[in-house]
Amino acid sequence: MTLHSSRPDARTDLLHGTLDMLILRTLQWGPQHGYAIGQTIRAQSSDVLQVEAGSLYPALQRLAKKGWVTAKWGQTGANQRAKFYRLTPEGKKQLVREESRWAELVNAIARVMKPVAAPGEE
Amino acid sequence: MSIWSWLNRRRLDEADLQEEIQAHLKIAADERMSDGADPQRAQLESLKEFGNVTLTREAAHRVWTPRWLDALHDQVSDVRYAIRSLAKDPVFALTVVGVLTLGIGLNAAVFTMLKSIALSPVAGVTGSANLSVIYGETSTGREVRLSYPDYQYLRDRDQAFSGLFGTALVRANLGRGRHARQIFGEVVTGNYFQVLGIQAEHGRTLLPSDEIAPGRHPVIAISDGLWRRDFGADPSIVGKTLEINNERLTVVGVVAPAFHGTTVVYDVELYVPVMTAPQLGFKFGSRESTPSAILGDRSAALFYPQGFLRPGVSLANASAHTDALWSTLSHDRPLTDVAPRLRVVPFLRTPGGAPTFALPMLSVLTAMGLLVLLIACANIAGLVLVRGVSRRGEIALRLALGASRTRIVRLLIVENLVLAIPGALLGVALARYSIPLLVETAARMAAPERVFFNIGVDSLVIGFAALVACGCALVFGFVPALRSSRVDLVSVINEDASPRGATRGRLRAALVVAQVAVSLLLLVGAGLATRSVEAAQRANPGFDQSQVTAVGMDVKQNAYDEPHGRAFYRHLLEVVRADAGIESATLAENMPMGMLDTRVQRVAIEGYEPRRGEDLAFMSNAIGSDYFHTLRIPVVAGREFEDRDDETAAPVAVVNNTLAVRFWGSAGSAIGKRVKVADGAWRNVIGVAADVKYARINEPPRPYIYLPFPQAYRSSMTLHTRGAAPVDRLVDQARANVAALDPDLPILNARPMARATRGALLFFDLTATMLFVFGVTGMALAALGTYGLVAYIVKQSTHEIGIRMALGASSRSIVMAFLTRGLRLGTLGVAIGILAALGGSRFLGSVLFGVTATDATSFTRALAIVLGGVGLATIVPAWRAARINPIAALRHQ
Repeated sequence: MTLHSSRPDARTDLLHGTLDMLILRTLQWGPQHGYAIGQTIRAQSSDVLQVEAGSLYPALQRLAKKGWVTAKWGQTGANQRAKFYRLTPEGKKQLVREESRWAELVNAIARVMKPVAAPGEE
Repeated sequence: MSIWSWLNRRRLDEADLQEEIQAHLKIAADERMSDGADPQRAQLESLKEFGNVTLTREAAHRVWTPRWLDALHDQVSDVRYAIRSLAKDPVFALTVVGVLTLGIGLNAAVFTMLKSIALSPVAGVTGSANLSVIYGETSTGREVRLSYPDYQYLRDRDQAFSGLFGTALVRANLGRGRHARQIFGEVVTGNYFQVLGIQAEHGRTLLPSDEIAPGRHPVIAISDGLWRRDFGADPSIVGKTLEINNERLTVVGVVAPAFHGTTVVYDVELYVPVMTAPQLGFKFGSRESTPSAILGDRSAALFYPQGFLRPGVSLANASAHTDALWSTLSHDRPLTDVAPRLRVVPFLRTPGGAPTFALPMLSVLTAMGLLVLLIACANIAGLVLVRGVSRRGEIALRLALGASRTRIVRLLIVENLVLAIPGALLGVALARYSIPLLVETAARMAAPERVFFNIGVDSLVIGFAALVACGCALVFGFVPALRSSRVDLVSVINEDASPRGATRGRLRAALVVAQVAVSLLLLVGAGLATRSVEAAQRANPGFDQSQVTAVGMDVKQNAYDEPHGRAFYRHLLEVVRADAGIESATLAENMPMGMLDTRVQRVAIEGYEPRRGEDLAFMSNAIGSDYFHTLRIPVVAGREFEDRDDETAAPVAVVNNTLAVRFWGSAGSAIGKRVKVADGAWRNVIGVAADVKYARINEPPRPYIYLPFPQAYRSSMTLHTRGAAPVDRLVDQARANVAALDPDLPILNARPMARATRGALLFFDLTATMLFVFGVTGMALAALGTYGLVAYIVKQSTHEIGIRMALGASSRSIVMAFLTRGLRLGTLGVAIGILAALGGSRFLGSVLFGVTATDATSFTRALAIVLGGVGLATIVPAWRAARINPIAALRHQ
């Protein structure tokens, strides 16, 4: 997944939204710093999705601006200073919304890709 | 959450982000090192994996920037860039700004005038364009004023108007003795100031309580201008008395400074209650003579009642309502020669009002102004296009570096706007300073009478100019910008600088053709206007005023009664005629070509039964003996008045040829027939005089009656003298004659007659002057533009010229080749221009005099000038090109 954060427009809204959802999802298991978020998404997707820093940090700023995450400096397990992002209650609600929208989208795409399969025949 | 942290949340903490990125890199590098990489390598790889740090920071930054601020930032940088790039090409920038200034200035000036007349015709009155006016219409379509009793009837019963006032323009004599002078006044009803919403600056305005009974209100209100000029802004003016037409009247107040009366163009300085008018000698054509009778006379046409319609009442409603009132009135109190119906029209269509002839003139000027603007746009489009070609390299580079075409077009348009805004501002300034000049000219021409124009540059004008400027920027900038952005990258980068762009050539040619066509149109208009003024000045008004003086006086101003007045005038003629160098002298009540229909009176013709509703009301004049001889008006039958036609002799009259032919078939058969003017006695027609122009130079022939002055005494007369000496010396001589007879009698005006009748040409003169300015400006712009484009085309062809010359072509043949090309474009433009001019000049008909809209001379002149201009614009650059060394030309590229 190569995400260029150029000017936001309609075309990239979907991608932004998806990246935002992935970040929120990653933070659901607890606060993490930027590098770790990128690594987690990478590992969880079995190296398929590679989040560039150029996309990750603007996305984090975006989420912070919307109030879905808060940031705080802290220490990593390896005793490194890092900024940890934590999901806010508002962010949790947003994640739920995003997940259901995502599910809808996937279903819709699946129906398009397999038009012969009647609904409920899964 | 505190405000501070909220605010903090609103923006990006740069240092914090920087630290976060450093931490990210460190963690990543540590991870790599723990996997066994050496520190330097680990750092490099993590940095590589991170990507562009600066871009990341910028992207993060942008998340926090509102979108409009971001766009603004881009615009500002565009503007900065545009200014920088224009500063590098000051000749281009200054030319464009100059051309725009001219184009916008002319348009702003015309727009200002149009706006003043159409939107606020009456200065100082809010929404004055919404005033509505009632007039009577005779069966022949003549517009007549209503009498005071009829006005009262309408005013008291009317439901359509919020208030109905009446006002009539009069000339009043202010003061007594030598220093007396004539000023414009309005005879007004008591509610005049209330309906118009005009306040007094000092004291009070006139009120309904000033309209109770004739002769009981010896009061006046004066204008701010009169108060300042004649009374040095005397703070205790209220309560003082002024002498008006020999009557002492008390000043009750000074009217608000912005107000100059409701008679457009005239500077009204005095407001007289209608009840006071009869004692000042104003009879409004009434045959009655006591003040109460004059105001009670239903046949005495006084004014057009006017006012604001009530909210929700349309003109049609008001018309219907007024007409119903009128028919009730006609039924209840029948009158023989009353106007059969009333009309209600907007103020701008007040019969005989200045807007009725100023508006057609202004619409013509507006059209001309837009044409000039069109030329200016074409001109600038040409310049932008040429500049665009020379900037192909820069644009190609920007495209190659990844700029989008929209971005480049936007940049070029911003560049045009940067030029347009100063153009607009300078244009407004031009209008701002040229309008007073024009007003001054008009005032000088009208002197000694005072005129007032409600003209000023306001925010509406500035807005208009800005709008026009931006429109221009888009028009002249958009197409060339679009074209410039469509650069063929490969050819430019390969430095193949010979653009065989056929389309671009076509656009240039189209611009040349368009400029030629429009400038021809303008020149035809200017030519027609100048010819029209020439014709009006040359036109034979029917009399010869070249060596004639006009000295006005009113003996009532030195308290002469009728017998003394008669004696004075008789004596004056004797003295003047006896003076050396005076060939002949006479007196007249009115001068011809006075712009106004003076003393229109009902006339009865013996043996002629007027058809029902036919209105026999003609202009008349009281004149002395030797009048026709002095003014060189031919007497076509019978004789003119002689000294023996005095008050003791049988009543006589002289009619003009038109009247004689209309009622008796020929001039000869009119002699001995009888006519009656107003309620006078039957008069024998003793002579028939040739027609002259009685009110305006462009009026159709109209019936006219002369009465001998001794049989129709007036206190106010004009002395005409004729002699061989320079006319200014004759004026001084006549003035001296009057002063010798009575040093205390004020001379109201003394001037050559030709100057006195010039007012009739005022509007033709003004229109023509402006049309001429427009024509010349347009032509100059078009010539400049054509020259620039042609010169550019020739310059682009330097290579071609070099090849031709190397192959043995003579410089003459090269010049000819370009000349043919140029003239071909010119001819096409001229053809289009002529077609447009033929179609459009009909539009000019209303402001022309003495020339047809298809006047051959005007067309030929315009044609010659335009083709000459195109020829010159082609020959000069072609000739210069042909002189270059072919080797140099070939090396040019």
